[in-house]
Amino acid sequence: MFVEYTWLVPLVPMLCFVIVGAFGKKMPEGGGPVAIFGALFAFVMSVLISYEFFTSAAYSDPGFITAQIAWFSIGDFTINVGYYIDSLSCLMILFASFISMLIFIYSIGYMHGEGVKKRRYYAEVSLFLTGMLGLAVSSNFLEMFVFWEAMGLCSYLLIGFWGFTHPNGDDAADNAASAAKKAFLVTRLGDVCLMGGLFVLLYAFGSLDYVTVFDTAAMAAVDPNMIMLASLLIFGGVIGKSAQFPLLDWLPDAMAGPTTVSALIHAATMVKAGVYLVARCFPLFTQNPEVMLFVGLIGGITAFFAATMALNNMNIKKVLAYSTLSQLGYMFLALGAGGYMMALGIQSGDNHLIAAGAVGYTAGCLHMVNHAFFKALLFLGSGSVIHATGTEDMREMGGLHKKMKITSITMLIGSLSIAGFPLFSGFWSKELVLEAAMHAGDYGVEGYLFTIMWVLAIVTAFMTAFYMFRMWFMTFKGKPGHGTEHSHGESPKSMTAPLVVLSAFAAAIGCMILFGFDEYITIGINGAGQFQVGSGHGHGMVGWLEDIFLSAYTYLTVVLVLAAIGIAYLMYSKKSVDPGKINRNGNSLLYRALSNRWYFPQLYNRIGWGLGYGVAKGVEFVDRDVIDGTVNALSAAVVGGGESLSRVQTGNVRDYAAMVMIGVVLLFAVIVALFYFMGGA
Amino acid sequence: MIPIEVYLVFAAILFAIGAYGVVVKNNTIVVLMCIELMLNAANINFIVFSAFTTDVLGQVFVIMSISVAAAEVAVGIAILLNAYKVKNTIEADSLASMRW
Repeated sequence: MFVEYTWLVPLVPMLCFVIVGAFGKKMPEGGGPVAIFGALFAFVMSVLISYEFFTSAAYSDPGFITAQIAWFSIGDFTINVGYYIDSLSCLMILFASFISMLIFIYSIGYMHGEGVKKRRYYAEVSLFLTGMLGLAVSSNFLEMFVFWEAMGLCSYLLIGFWGFTHPNGDDAADNAASAAKKAFLVTRLGDVCLMGGLFVLLYAFGSLDYVTVFDTAAMAAVDPNMIMLASLLIFGGVIGKSAQFPLLDWLPDAMAGPTTVSALIHAATMVKAGVYLVARCFPLFTQNPEVMLFVGLIGGITAFFAATMALNNMNIKKVLAYSTLSQLGYMFLALGAGGYMMALGIQSGDNHLIAAGAVGYTAGCLHMVNHAFFKALLFLGSGSVIHATGTEDMREMGGLHKKMKITSITMLIGSLSIAGFPLFSGFWSKELVLEAAMHAGDYGVEGYLFTIMWVLAIVTAFMTAFYMFRMWFMTFKGKPGHGTEHSHGESPKSMTAPLVVLSAFAAAIGCMILFGFDEYITIGINGAGQFQVGSGHGHGMVGWLEDIFLSAYTYLTVVLVLAAIGIAYLMYSKKSVDPGKINRNGNSLLYRALSNRWYFPQLYNRIGWGLGYGVAKGVEFVDRDVIDGTVNALSAAVVGGGESLSRVQTGNVRDYAAMVMIGVVLLFAVIVALFYFMGGA
Repeated sequence: MIPIEVYLVFAAILFAIGAYGVVVKNNTIVVLMCIELMLNAANINFIVFSAFTTDVLGQVFVIMSISVAAAEVAVGIAILLNAYKVKNTIEADSLASMRW
């Protein structure tokens, strides 16, 4: 009833994009209400679709509803376009549309002073939402890729929103423009990999439909090396989009865009697309344990390194950006660890191991949802702070708690949640992630690598709690800074209302796991031998509570988190411990490495110049001297020929007459010659 | 009876003289006269073929051609008159302002 109209979910925000783009100038708030309506519609539709899907017979068998029509054919390949609804799609469209809606509402207040540029803003965010929703409901890889690229475009446009005129001056505008370029180019690198992966899939399976590719029999018939190649290439795309280890540098730079855009990119769209794609391709990735090992390693390394970079950053938004990287790393670690166990289970036919792997899948997805809520909350909260103080530097804040009660408390809830404070959302998912990583360490030859990742993840949990509370104490507690004195108090209602709503979710959404979330978002192999998302056997509330609270490791992380919060309190609120002593006032080698992001930007530049400049020079030579040379020579020949021929126009009548005569004589001669040689009469 | 070739050769010679004059002569009045020669050469051909095929249509064309030639000369001389007023000369070499 509603599922048949799934295509409306991405289509209505798309229409909003067109309407706002065309008529936004004349609308109140540059078309903001239209964008909000688009998101609201998508959310209501998502709720209806999800309700219908979860109550339908298709939910338990075969676990999805899909419909598609032929889009185009090339030779024997037919590319379809359609929708594919399963538990994972439902989860994605639900939280993406809901959080986007809140961010759009918040934007009304935050972007109020932008004037005519608001039209551009609301049009582009609508398109961004279209990309995410379309990606989640796509029924095949190519359709998904189209929306994937649409999001890449929107991220470029929105990060560079202030690329022409920035409220903080021209330097900031240049910075925004180059950040946008960086985001676009770095994700492009991943997208090329992803496209290569799609070609491999098309070659191996002859189709890009999820139904065909994820079919167990089809996968068994294909050369495992092809599947491995395709999986790694697809994960290459994910690394770019979700800013994982080698390609993580664009996301901190992307902070140059408006804070709402950061919230949108980090919470509801863009980086979550990568997590979604890994979860979606789980059947494919689990064909090889090595692929999943790679996913887990990349995730664990990113989680650790990004967290270290957040430790000493002074920019409130950059701290949040690094924390996003780190949390995304957690998600990939969970998915990788779960997938690794599942892959081993499939190889050995061990159902127990497959079930253990499903926990990793659930953990990754749960952490994705939790992260969406608390990261949206934290970004919008930081936006509220920036809105009030006019600065992003935390040294100029401090003592804001008294001036901005709502922002302060909601951000405290967000920080507690992301830090994994017991019973808050982040706690549940983080424990599951750690559990999955730890279990994966017990199996297989390379399992010990997961044990290392587990240790890194625990250290990361400590660092997360530390830098989040460092941020909170520096911003809201302590001595009022320069920016605090000039702040104009609490933000308008359109900004605080979304914060309050989000904080409720950020605190409690993780408890879903106690109420059967793992039944719906799990992956297993059903009676027909096919992979199926959902319809699993949940551990239930008692099961999870026993699982988490009877494990000694849970208490280890809790103690570490509490210790980190305590250290942050001592350093930045009570100021009884001077952080300057530890880092020799910012001169220690480690401190400088951290503030230079482990010299990643320099490394990029080195590679970019060394590799890119040589290639560019070669290309420039071909373009300028070979291609342009040919064209220029041709045009010069034509111009020169015309020039010299124009000398014939002497203006002297007798010359023309003579030419006519000569022409007649020649014509005559030709006719005679023709008759002579053709033997005519 | 005089054979047809004689008439045709005569007309061809007349045409060649006219063509030569058009190309070579500098005085535009002479050029007009040479054009007249060429037209008349064509007229002779018409008449000759008309007479030898006993088809009167050729003579009709000649009448028409003569009247067109008369009109053409009138227009030509009017142009030359104006050219003389402007340029003070009617030499073909001097009336070469339409060059590149």
